Formats: sequence, C-alpha cells, structure tokens
Amino acid sequence: MTPADLHYQVDVAHWGWSIAWFLWFVGIAGMGSVAYYFVRRAPLAYVIFGSLAIGLLLVVSHLGRWWNLPRVLWIMVINLDFNFNSWMLIGIMMLSVHLFMTLFIVIAHLPFLTNRFGWLGWTKALNASNLYLVLYAALGAGATVYSGFLITQAAGVPLWNTSLIPVLWVISGSVAAIAVLELLYVFGLVDARVSSFGVRLGMGLDVLKLLAVLGFLHVALSFGSAGARFGAELMTSGEYALMTWGGVIGIGILIPLAIGAYTIFVGKSKPLLLVSSVAALAGVFFLRAAVLLAGVWEPLVL
Amino acid sequence: MSTRLRRGQAPTRRMAHIWDASRCIACGACVMACTQANAPEMMFREEKGWKSLASNIRRIDSVSPHGRPELLLVQCQHCENAPCISTCPFGATYYDTDGRVRLDPARCAGCSYCVTSCPYNVRWLHPDNKLPKKCMGDGCIDLTDSGQHPACVQACPAMARDYGDLNDPSSSVSVTLRTKRSRRLLEATGSEPKFFVVEGSR
Ligand code: SF4
Ligand code: SF4
Ligand code: SF4
Repeated sequence: MTPADLHYQVDVAHWGWSIAWFLWFVGIAGMGSVAYYFVRRAPLAYVIFGSLAIGLLLVVSHLGRWWNLPRVLWIMVINLDFNFNSWMLIGIMMLSVHLFMTLFIVIAHLPFLTNRFGWLGWTKALNASNLYLVLYAALGAGATVYSGFLITQAAGVPLWNTSLIPVLWVISGSVAAIAVLELLYVFGLVDARVSSFGVRLGMGLDVLKLLAVLGFLHVALSFGSAGARFGAELMTSGEYALMTWGGVIGIGILIPLAIGAYTIFVGKSKPLLLVSSVAALAGVFFLRAAVLLAGVWEPLVL
Repeated sequence: MSTRLRRGQAPTRRMAHIWDASRCIACGACVMACTQANAPEMMFREEKGWKSLASNIRRIDSVSPHGRPELLLVQCQHCENAPCISTCPFGATYYDTDGRVRLDPARCAGCSYCVTSCPYNVRWLHPDNKLPKKCMGDGCIDLTDSGQHPACVQACPAMARDYGDLNDPSSSVSVTLRTKRSRRLLEATGSEPKFFVVEGSR
C-alpha cells in the first residue's frame, strides 16, 4: 500500500544522477588508490586523477548556488568556523587532498615533466615511498567510506541510515578498481601480470557484493522503518526493480562472475574481459543510482 | 532581536510552535499566510517535489482506516538536536539565541544536504535562488522580532496555532502543553523537535 505521505528525495532534494556519478567516480578513485599501492602503474594513476577531477566537478556543478561557493569558503576561513560534524565537509577536504596526492603521483609518471623541470624530482621520491603510498591508499579507502557515510548521515532518508552502505561502497569500489585494471589490460596499458591480480579476487568480491546487496535489502525490508521498507520495495519490486535485479545483480555481478569462471577454467579472452569489466563498472554505478533514487522520507502518515 | 548562537552557548529562549489538531478546521489559511509572508513570489507557484503550494507548512491529507478524512500539518520543528545543522558543510544552518533553526543565505552553497537530512521533509528548494526554505522565513522572523506572532498563528481562524517560549512556564505554549494531550513527531530520530501536535484535553 502506498502511504499518504510519500515523497522521493530526488523530487525535493534533487540528489539524483549527478550524485550517483559522483559516488561512482569516488569509488573508482578511492579503491583504485588501494590497488595503486600494489600495482603502481601510470595508467591507473591517470584514471584515479581523472575520476577525482570529474567527481569533484560533478559535485560542484550539482550545487544549486555554486556561484556563492567562493564567498562561503571565504566566510568559513576568516571566521575559522568549520563544521567537522558534516561528512560532506570532511569528504570534500579528503577528496581535495587526495586529488593533490594523485597529481604528484601522476607527475612522477611523466618523464617529460620531471626531466624538463628538475625541481619536480621530489614527486618521483614520493611515488617510490612506501609510506606515501600507504597514506595514499588509506586516504583512498577513507574517501570511499566517506562517500558511504555522506548518505548514511542524511537522516531524512531511512533507507540510507545504515552502516551497511559504507561497507557496500567499499566492496563495490574494490570491484570497480579491479574492473579498471582489467580494462587497462584489455587496452594493452598494463601487462598480464597486473591483470592476473584481479580475476579470482574480483570473483570473490563479486560474491561478497552480492551478499552485501541482498543483506542490505533484507535488513531494510525486515527490520527497517516504513520509509526504509518502502525504499527497499522500490528497489526489489517497484520502480527500480529492473535497475536492481537487471543492472546491479544481473549485469554487475552475474555476468562478471560467469566470465570469471570461464577465464579460470578455459583461459583469458580479451573481448570477454572487456565485457566483464564494463559490466562490473556499470553494476557499481547502477547500485549507487538505485540506492539514491529509491530514497524516500519516512511517511508521517501511513 | 535574536542572533546566531555561539558554540557552547545555550539559547536564552526556546521558541516552539503548537498546532492543535483537535481545533483545526483544515481551512489552509496558515499555509497560504506562510507563503504570503515569507515567499510572496511563490504565491501561485507549486513546490514540484511536494506537488503543493510552496509553503513552509506542508499539508498531508489522508483517510483514516475508518474512512474519515484526516489532516496533518508539518513545518520545521526547530529541533534541539537538528540533523540539518550537523550536516550543513558550511555552517549556513544555525541556531539562534531563541533556539530557532535559521539559515544564513550568505553561507549557503545550495548542496541540499540539509534537505535530505531533515527527517520531517519540511525544507524545499526555492526555484529561483535555490535556497533551502523552511519555517521560519524572513517574513515571520521580522514579525516575531517586532513582538508579533508568526503569520500562521495570526491567520488561523480557529485558534489552533500558537508560538511561544518553552523556557517560560507562564507562556501560552507551556500552559497548553501542561494542560492538554500532545505529541511530537518522529521522536525516535532523536532530533528533539519543538513542534507539538495537540490532540485534545487530558
Ligand atoms: S525539522 Fe528539519 S529543518 Fe527543521 S530543525 Fe529539524 S531537521 Fe532541521
Ligand atoms: S543547502 Fe545550504 S543550508 Fe543546506 S546544507 Fe547545503 S549549504 Fe547548508
Ligand atoms: S489556519 Fe488554523 S484552522 Fe486553518 S488549517 Fe491552519 S491550523 Fe488549521
């Protein structure tokens, strides 16, 4: 039964597709930074940098009053008044630091810059430093967790008020990072050794992601408030059911799992890897979009 | 005149709204008066998300299980543990010394985080300036600063609305809450709302 007081957050607050893309890019960049610690390849650094830059641009363009941002920042700085209770503020600060840390790594991978401008040599030292890269990976994981807490903290949307979301975001962000590595391999940008990092781990993560998605829906349907339940119903049998079952689970989990199994038993095929990594990346996006779009307020009257 | 509450400072007054459901005749005058006082340019325009007149009072019509039409009016609850204040990244949403939750447009970048953070769904984005509007708007702040009641209280023909200080035991709202049955909405969220729905005599 539809409650008398049912409102979708996307209609009122307008957290829609652009925020879904933002969360997707943050997931790729965040867990991509963890992958970077292990593989340390230039193309991955470029992808992380691009994802962060696009993600931040998306979030700024989503601001209804973006033109007021310089004044807002100025007032905060001159008053030394920062609301560190807000995950949005913490997250934007983390992403900005992350962007700069990635920029240094990208520069270290560009010999025409480091050779021409000798003073940029320190970026190579940073890129060779385990400590720097551990910090970088930690910040990436933190940024992914942040993108989960960002919506968890939005008290108006009960479907989101669960700590399963950051967990889901980290697992699916890891799936996305591995899919990016596979894509880089398909396009000949990293070698097979780097890509072999992924197949079994990717399948394990796909299974984990499946369990986490089903767990998230089950918790909302069985133990959630009316608003959480209604949101979960939108995802399982309502307006966003196709996105959940077809996009998140079918395309995003089952196709990569089937191709992963084929790869293990029969052997690697680049066209199939291409399909599986694009499907995995699409699934990670559908997950964020479905969770966002299915967000409704707690009905005050049923 | 109320000012922005500094960190660690307690409000001098705790101003609260009362809506007496047992007296309300569902005329909608308060909803209109609110728009007229606080956003007159929206008088004939719809809040698209709510599909109703853009007002700081949201009207929820429903039918009881016995088939009787029912009404609930909601507006900003001026929560004492306001999620919208915790989440606003730029400190644009703040408490004033009267314990009201206010908005500083100079500090607002229009991220809508306060909108998704409000458990009561009482904030709406103004289509022209993209500010997250809610009770109390500038019109009602001016009215109350000059010692008058907010527009909704003044407009109500059934005396179903009131506004006053919870810290003052002799204020009309304190007396009503002592003598009548009332409830607060969504208390489980822990937001400590200061909007009371009066349901009748004790
Ligand atoms: S009712 Fe909503 S907008 Fe008003 S103070 Fe509470 S959380 Fe903020
Ligand atoms: S829309 Fe404005 S008031 Fe609301 S959270 Fe964003 S900056 Fe703060
Ligand atoms: S003006 Fe008074 S009687 Fe009319 S709807 Fe509002 S509260 Fe009810």
